[in-house]
Amino acid sequence: MDEILDEVGSPEELKKFEAIYNQQLEEHSVTTDATFNYAWSLVRSRYAADIRKGICLLETIFNEDREQTRRDCVYYLAIGYAKLKEYSKALQYTKAFLNLEPANLQVQSLDSTIRKRMEKEGLIGMALAGGAVLALGGLVTLGLALSKK
Amino acid sequence: MSGGPYSYSYIFKYIIIGDMGVGKSCLLHQFTEKKFMADCPHTIGVEFGTRIIEVSGQKIKLQIWDTAGQERFRAVTRSYYRGAAGALMVYDITRRSTYNHLSSWLTDTRNLTNPSTVIFLIGNKCDLDGQRDVTYEEAKQFAEENGLMFVEASAKTGERVEEAFLETAKKIFQSIQDGRLDLNAAESGVQHKPSQTGRTTLSNDQQPNKDTCSC
Ligand SMILES: Nc1nc2c(ncn2[C@@H]2O[C@H](COP(=O)(O)OP(=O)(O)OP(=O)(O)O)[C@@H](O)[C@H]2O)c(=O)[nH]1
Ligand SMILES: [Mg+2]
Repeated sequence: MDEILDEVGSPEELKKFEAIYNQQLEEHSVTTDATFNYAWSLVRSRYAADIRKGICLLETIFNEDREQTRRDCVYYLAIGYAKLKEYSKALQYTKAFLNLEPANLQVQSLDSTIRKRMEKEGLIGMALAGGAVLALGGLVTLGLALSKK
Repeated sequence: MSGGPYSYSYIFKYIIIGDMGVGKSCLLHQFTEKKFMADCPHTIGVEFGTRIIEVSGQKIKLQIWDTAGQERFRAVTRSYYRGAAGALMVYDITRRSTYNHLSSWLTDTRNLTNPSTVIFLIGNKCDLDGQRDVTYEEAKQFAEENGLMFVEASAKTGERVEEAFLETAKKIFQSIQDGRLDLNAAESGVQHKPSQTGRTTLSNDQQPNKDTCSC
């Protein structure tokens, strides 16, 4: 289910949730919903800085809020870290979630997507290192990709 | 090189919407895995599923976004409507309230998708006929009045689940052929992938998909 990690939201959407959040911030009455919506749209951004900011907000809600929202946060924290390629952190979150709800297919599938991605990128890294000559690297990678078919 | 089982010439984007607990995720799971989940937790945000089907000899990859029905996700799940070629709108035949909310789901869909988006109404859990709270006839009438396609289905038995997903695709495909759906429009929800030799990138991202191996 690579799409869950590859999809990006629209910038207008992000601006909309950002505006709501900022307004509440000014009025000193930020709701969890507004924070969560803003954080989610940040995590869906294509820019690492946005994703990081989203993660920060999710961690804040996670630390101060109820069970229900925590569960949602953990899921999106895993997605956020995976998008930043911080896979081991991402897996800590999916693992924590699955400890509580082992049968949750949605999280199982995210967990295995992250593992696959880690493997795939690990393989390519190894191919490059093993190829020694940089020009060879590309060929080796291509060869690997083809032989996997 | 490209021809293998994972190649396809179109991608259609679908969304599944409706109140929480009506069985959206179970319908998706039944369609992609041919299995029923008896104890399905509420979806967090959105889930994703995919399957390659064939319509008029063309392979089509369905990219299906299954949205969470719980109210608190509504603001964000709305952003997935945009660019959907097909929308499966689900209610539960044993819970009247889920049927009563259809007009608001429909308004949202019409506002957030485009005129060529095919909307298919599914009355789910038809295996529970004894607990029925919405008659077939009234739902059928609602569908006709609003120009929706309609079936009663069961994610549990699998009855008419395929039909709902496939008929939606056929209708979308028809619109493409009639020229009613503009493939170049940014938000048509359809991508055309002319088959060429050497499109390794396409087959690469297809590895996890086991649905086409059913031959
Ligand atoms: N008898 C019967 N039960 C079903 C059917 N489809 C789903 N269920 C049950 O209904 C419950 C809810 O199903 P889900 O697929 O999780 O519902 P959902 O619409 O995805 O709910 P949210 O993710 O919260 O929006 C689960 O316990 C399923 O086992 C069906 O066709 N027949
Ligand atoms: Mg669900």
